[in-house]
Amino acid sequence: MLSIDAAAHSSRWRRRHPVDKAVLGFGLTLLAVVLPPWPGAALVLVAALAVLLGPARVPAGRLWRAYRVPLGFCLTGAVAVLVRVGGPDAVGLAPGGAARAGELLLRSSAASLGVLVFAFTTPMSDLLPRLVRAGVPAAVVDVAVVTYRMAFLLLDAVRRVRQAQAARLGHTTRTAVWRSLGGLGATAFTRAFDRAGRLQSGLAGRGYDGTLRVLVPPTRVSGGFVGGSLAVLAVIVVLSTVLEGPWS
Amino acid sequence: MHIAEGFLPPAHAIAWVAASAPFVVHGVRQLTREVREHPESTLLLGASGAFMFVLSALKLPSVTGSCSHPTGSGLGAVLFRPPVMAVLGTVTLLFQALLLAHGGLTTLGANVFSMAVVGPWAGYGVYRLARGLGARLEVAVFCAAFVADLGTYCVTSVQLALAFPDPVSGFLGALGKFGSIFAVTQVPLAVSEGLLTVLVVRLLLQSNAGELARLGLRAGVRGKAGAGAVAR
Repeated sequence: MLSIDAAAHSSRWRRRHPVDKAVLGFGLTLLAVVLPPWPGAALVLVAALAVLLGPARVPAGRLWRAYRVPLGFCLTGAVAVLVRVGGPDAVGLAPGGAARAGELLLRSSAASLGVLVFAFTTPMSDLLPRLVRAGVPAAVVDVAVVTYRMAFLLLDAVRRVRQAQAARLGHTTRTAVWRSLGGLGATAFTRAFDRAGRLQSGLAGRGYDGTLRVLVPPTRVSGGFVGGSLAVLAVIVVLSTVLEGPWS
Repeated sequence: MHIAEGFLPPAHAIAWVAASAPFVVHGVRQLTREVREHPESTLLLGASGAFMFVLSALKLPSVTGSCSHPTGSGLGAVLFRPPVMAVLGTVTLLFQALLLAHGGLTTLGANVFSMAVVGPWAGYGVYRLARGLGARLEVAVFCAAFVADLGTYCVTSVQLALAFPDPVSGFLGALGKFGSIFAVTQVPLAVSEGLLTVLVVRLLLQSNAGELARLGLRAGVRGKAGAGAVAR
């Protein structure tokens, strides 16, 4: 299982309705994008960190391991904004580039944390079956559910095949690495379709009619939690508007 | 590379959602019709989605010495066709955003447009063209994977240049800037992905020829094996 999803399954907010956590997490992401980066996105960043490490009780190490991935992308992208092309000396530092890069970094890293609030507290298995009620066609949701369930099995199979290849000196030379990678891709395809075939046979024996029915934990949207989340978002908007004046 | 969460200004994020939506809706309609007519397709399509997800997690050695991962959009387009890839690509990108913190939800429209729309269509177009001109399956598959990979990154460069025009030389300067950054890393990676895709298809032709034939993929060239042997 992937580390974020594993953390979501053992999260303190695991039993909360996904709508509760979507209002908070995606609300923070939305504010990070629409509010001015300073101080709006900075406030979002602080609030998201406080939520993740506080009430959601996500271990700091686990959060850092997940967060450093988008942070790396943000840093790489922001570097390009620092540089200008054209002018008398062809290439140089862009005027105001450092401020733009800083704002971009702030906005992007805050928005990423907002999504992590949702991802670290909501397992995919809780979210996907509920998407039908949100208007996503049932056929697409069913395909997504099978993709999700099968992806873990395939990732596990690929990991074991990779270990076996390494044990047979499959990663010692460049040629061997390419041969091993090709084998890995082909094995993943063969395993995926073989598993789909067997799954189909098993379901056919149980009266499969084209709809995958899964049990969804019975939870209700909490008015208190949603109200509290909206209050936090409102406070961020107000603080950002009030603080924007002195900083601008 | 996916565009990271929150990286695009709101207007751009919305515009790319609007640009991707018709392709995804078209793909959803095709997928829904396919599932209605053949209920067992759900499992095969789910398996295909899982395969694409796992393929994008494989680490690929680059000619420059660095390491990246294949986009899988070229192989996906050849195997499952571009409309289905628009849906499978969207599902895969959603999973990557929520399970791997890779990409993002606000940038989902832009990433879908480059990786699940333009990449697959460009790769599939080149594949059909190459097969139509009588190229061997391996050559056509290499071209498809190469063009799909490079096409994806060209579109990403355009998306970033539109969002962050250069203060001196504007959109074109920014396009050159982002394009040259990607060209250094992506041309070797596109070659790598092309080679890997050919290796995968060759192994599949040996071990899973029946499944590939069902998907419309057969070895041979027009003229030697007959027009019927040419895939789609």
